[in-house]
Amino acid sequence: MASTNIKILVCVKEVPQPEAPIGIDPSAGWVQIERSTSYRINRFDGFAVEEALLIKEAFPDTTVDFITVGPDRSAMILKRALGMGGDQGIHIVTDGEGYLSPFVTAHWIALYARGKTYDLILTGVMSEDYMQGQVGPTIAEFLSLPCATATIFERLSPGEGEVYVAREIEGGFRDTLVLRLPVVLTVQSGINRPRYPSLSNMLRAKRQQMKTIAAKSLKQTDPRQGVIGIAYPSKLRSGQVLIGTQEEKARELLKILSEKSLVQ
Amino acid sequence: MAQSIIIIAEHFEGELRPVTYELVGFALELQKFCPAKIKMLILGDDVAGLAQDAATHTGLDVVAVIVPALTTYNLEVYKGILSERLPDLDPVYICMAHTTQGADLAPPLAVRIKAACITGVVQVSGEKDRVSFARDMYAGKVVATFESTSERRILTLQPGSLPSPVFDHPAPVAVETWTATYLAKQSMSRGIKPPKETNAALTEAEVVVSAGKGVGKKENLQIIDNLSRLWPGSAVGGSRPVCDSGWLEYRQQVGTTGATVAPKLYVACGISGASQHIAGMRGSGFIVAINRDSGAAIFNVADVCVVEDLITFIPCLIEEHRKQSI
Repeated sequence: MASTNIKILVCVKEVPQPEAPIGIDPSAGWVQIERSTSYRINRFDGFAVEEALLIKEAFPDTTVDFITVGPDRSAMILKRALGMGGDQGIHIVTDGEGYLSPFVTAHWIALYARGKTYDLILTGVMSEDYMQGQVGPTIAEFLSLPCATATIFERLSPGEGEVYVAREIEGGFRDTLVLRLPVVLTVQSGINRPRYPSLSNMLRAKRQQMKTIAAKSLKQTDPRQGVIGIAYPSKLRSGQVLIGTQEEKARELLKILSEKSLVQ
Repeated sequence: MAQSIIIIAEHFEGELRPVTYELVGFALELQKFCPAKIKMLILGDDVAGLAQDAATHTGLDVVAVIVPALTTYNLEVYKGILSERLPDLDPVYICMAHTTQGADLAPPLAVRIKAACITGVVQVSGEKDRVSFARDMYAGKVVATFESTSERRILTLQPGSLPSPVFDHPAPVAVETWTATYLAKQSMSRGIKPPKETNAALTEAEVVVSAGKGVGKKENLQIIDNLSRLWPGSAVGGSRPVCDSGWLEYRQQVGTTGATVAPKLYVACGISGASQHIAGMRGSGFIVAINRDSGAAIFNVADVCVVEDLITFIPCLIEEHRKQSI
């Protein structure tokens, strides 16, 4: 890559806001989320969006596209991402709310990205809802690109056609490596501080052309795995729930701790 | 050819990571449903000794896969060698740890060898030909059971989910040695850097008071500090999102990417209880959870559950303690 004309694709996903109650629909064998629940960009993907925008600030000829796979509602998070900055939103629209295998999601994103000469594909290290951490590295393999997960630092050298990456590994250690572009990076939280969308960008986002692709129009693939049941987790400890007013709960808690010599 | 269950050992700075032995327990669980031979592979440039230790300790077939100049994990090299060698072993299951290594390697390797990939498994259940895998979803609020119809499956095991088996003086076994080379073309390892800060204050404290995103804003951390004063010598910790926001230092982070703590008392304030956090504190002696969301997963690991907004409850708790102390 001779010029600094960098093309970035950021994969984002909508997730229910964290305090939303997660119900179970036994007939569907899947979760049930109330209609009134609000959704937002997966927290980890927010760091990937910000990292792309920081690169665009450092290399002004950069274009940043956002892609998501999800129901109609997901268009909102593309607008939100465009509100932070960036150029185009691509929405692969799925039917229904059931579990989608990461193979399928990654397959569709790879189909879109193939041949579009992205230099960098970024996404969060995992989603807050499914927590599989698979879509990013699976896209990389479908496209035969090198990949680093849990990226906590990156320094792009477009002239050399490479990127220096630090992966956050266990115990606060960092595994450093140099990857040849193009590359897929999944971003660990804390790599930056994601900005808030600006009003002018949000207004611009509304007018911006958003590309919509029906998932069913794309080539289908074997999901390789599926969810056959869902349950609430079993309690690992007694989990005594305190009752009464705040004061009563406070006194009860102090009594329990005192009996165990855990408070003076 | 006989089918196999493969364990990819994880090692760091010349030692096997303890999770490798949890993977042995995991493989033994899988073997109950699938009569295949368990084989552990250890990759690296100097792993003969590690392989001998692992074989002596477990009595399993262990292969030292000697890869010259491979001093640390490198995805391209691991993937290149494993995708070449694994098909010959006819693996039904390939077990790795759900660590930053396993999570990096499992998905692309699965694509290469046409396997299913299920990450963060906490439990195996089922019967012959119908084995299923449980894993957390939605920050631990629900547990989903997964199944795969693929003939090969790569599974990553959530560390701490299964106990390491007790090996009772296994019969001595010979270690196999393979030599493999793979020239990385797309990624060059540049070494491992140690952390800048220590988290000794957190790991050595007898009481840890921890803050989650439920504190709402940085200023409210004063409430957590005030609560920690009930216990002299206690430490204040936090979940990853709190550290990401800059409200606490990363050396204060509890969880898989931070410190693993096991104090006598752990007070979780406004922490949702995502599995990454729970993995770092489940060994605590006594756990109190305060959260206004009654569905928060933290309550599943707590000894005492307080469903209240910490902003009002903690000052009330401190006040009640003050009243009792005079």
